[in-house]
Amino acid sequence: MRRKGLLIDTGPVGIENGQLQLLVGPAVKEASVQCIGFIRVLATALAIAALGAGSAVAQVRVGSKNFTEQFIVAEIYAQALEAAGIKVERKINLGGTLIAHKALEEKQIDLYPEYTGTMLLAVLKGEPMTDRKAVYDKVKAEYAAKGLVVLNETPFQNTYNMVVRPETAAQYKLETLSDLAKVAKELKVGAGPEFRDRKDGLPGLKAKYGIEFKEDLQMAIGLRYQALANKQIDVVNGYSTDGMIGALKLKRLKDDRNLWPPYYLAPVVRKEALDANPKLAEALNQVSALLDEASMTEMNYKVDGEKEEPKDVARAFLKAKGIVR
Amino acid sequence: MFADAWSYLAGHPRQFGAALWTHVALSASALAIAVAIAVPLGTWVAETRRAALVAINAANIGRTLPSLAILALMMPVLGTGFAPALFALTLLALPPILINTCTAIRQVDADVVDAARGMGMTAMNLVRKVKLPIALPVIFAGIRTAAIQVISGAVLAAYIGGGGLGDFITAGIAMMAVPQILVGAIPATLLALGTDFLFGRLQRALTPVGLRTG
Amino acid sequence: MNWLLGNWDQVLVALGEHVAISLTALAIASALSLAIGIWAARNERVFNAALAIGGILYTIPTLAFLALLIPVVGLGKTNAVICMVAFSLLIMIRNVATGIRAVPHDVVEAAEGMGMNRFEVLTRIELPLALPVIVAGLRIATVTVISVTVVAAYINAGGLGTLIFAGISNDFAPKIWTGALTACALAVAADLCLARLEGWLRRRAS
Repeated sequence: MRRKGLLIDTGPVGIENGQLQLLVGPAVKEASVQCIGFIRVLATALAIAALGAGSAVAQVRVGSKNFTEQFIVAEIYAQALEAAGIKVERKINLGGTLIAHKALEEKQIDLYPEYTGTMLLAVLKGEPMTDRKAVYDKVKAEYAAKGLVVLNETPFQNTYNMVVRPETAAQYKLETLSDLAKVAKELKVGAGPEFRDRKDGLPGLKAKYGIEFKEDLQMAIGLRYQALANKQIDVVNGYSTDGMIGALKLKRLKDDRNLWPPYYLAPVVRKEALDANPKLAEALNQVSALLDEASMTEMNYKVDGEKEEPKDVARAFLKAKGIVR
Repeated sequence: MFADAWSYLAGHPRQFGAALWTHVALSASALAIAVAIAVPLGTWVAETRRAALVAINAANIGRTLPSLAILALMMPVLGTGFAPALFALTLLALPPILINTCTAIRQVDADVVDAARGMGMTAMNLVRKVKLPIALPVIFAGIRTAAIQVISGAVLAAYIGGGGLGDFITAGIAMMAVPQILVGAIPATLLALGTDFLFGRLQRALTPVGLRTG
Repeated sequence: MNWLLGNWDQVLVALGEHVAISLTALAIASALSLAIGIWAARNERVFNAALAIGGILYTIPTLAFLALLIPVVGLGKTNAVICMVAFSLLIMIRNVATGIRAVPHDVVEAAEGMGMNRFEVLTRIELPLALPVIVAGLRIATVTVISVTVVAAYINAGGLGTLIFAGISNDFAPKIWTGALTACALAVAADLCLARLEGWLRRRAS
């Protein structure tokens, strides 16, 4: 029986066998036995490995969201905890705000760094407020009700800064977001996946300033500045501590109508993890107090501009502050 | 859940329309360009055994390359947006079409070729009037495979700013919003299934009755 | 390549994760496909149904499939493995069934005439003879699975895709290249190994 196999994706299917064979090649039998045996061994090994990996003894699992500053801060927290003698497992780059929050609620991680404004608007879906302390108190109280503890804030905040290329600012004479509103229809905006739907994102810009862009492009967060530099987009939702803003000499537009609440960084920790690790709170608060805007921006630039690894940048920072040796 | 997805869709018609249009445009263009390159190329390399072997081996390696890897590799070179996505997707579509074209043409029955040559056909006519038509069903099968690959790859293009239905999926994942995920995932699936069905029909129509197997 | 030299530990971890997920998926897919394929070899209706369903599953775009599973199993490795098993079913069931069916009747009858029962015929005659075709299917499934694992990094399944996404994150090409090329090399290597195995089995079978 010969068949011409034409379709390439399965290979020729016909088997030529004109001979009546009772002793089907002991070698073939051997091969098939070995194959099956191999698969069995493999499956067992995998099961053991999976079990083993799952039960790695880590006392604290540190997570992070999906952009550079988050990678760096999570590493800083992780290394600070390790310096305090706590074993840490890292789960960096989990995804957007709500994914990280969900991971916390479902006990897949024990802590991650979040911004007070984001907690208020994106997680709790509350109304915008402008007072720093009021925001902190509110989110701290509401998170506590969920069994999550918001520790001390860092000195720096990381708010949204809509930025444009210097030529664009010069061309349209842009200083504030109100200025932007007048010409937004001619410009394309680019942002990460959350900005389109968050209250403090495009919908907020539209509600407060009446800003509607000609086109809104969505891309991975790390690609925004490249797209802006390539003129693929004209406006970007910069983060105020992004190192690239200074590096590319981009113009930050002032939030003159106060759309955005304060966004101070604070670690959010599961209460059970805090109770189980008495040194946790102290270690984190100590390190948070050292994070000022200049340092953070510089560290962000080291990763985004000079392509260093977040963990190396974190280590250098902690070394300089005497937290690790 | 589906009701929420539907209302999200109804609330963002322009966005959905734009995403769908970009997705189709990306996929169709990539496929068209790939066909325009791979069919002539495949026909040409089919002439000699050596060339065919090299081409098929290269294309086989191309087939094993993960789609996201190709998209990601284009990015540092070509930047973000529609163009790099199109380039990457075209690269993705080339191997199946090239392999099928080359192999199908080489497998055209030697007797038929001899008969045609005996009738005095020129090489060019031989290809156009004899080889290609006989090879067409298999070539088309390759195009069908490529089409599905491309539609699937176009979903990933959202990550590098290429637009398309993947935008809804990535936004939905970021916001943990299932309705949004569905608004991206279901139409993308339907698009792929629909295209496969359509191409399947076309394939049957193109196969001479005598060669049909099912 | 300086990055690679300084961070090969990161790459190895990612590679290890990638291989582990792929193997898990392939093991499950093989077991399932063997069972369903044997059944489908005997039963025309099951054959057609399995191919139809497998075909539909295979056509679903990768990221869409992973996304659709999120409401059901959330993010992570489980999600990814389910997706990969689903994608592999078509090719593997088809090859198992076709391979078994292609075993010549006379051989089977002769074996039965020698007193072998159904199980013995299956394990000592049909499966060994069908092995080359089965491995051909496994080969394609392997490449598919490696490819899907790259994308699955997006939903936190780990693997070489994490390097790619991290590289995209701070626009750092060497990371992207390392992740992408390692994944490609893995796919090509796996394909070559299985091709060798398939060729060896074919020569042995005839």
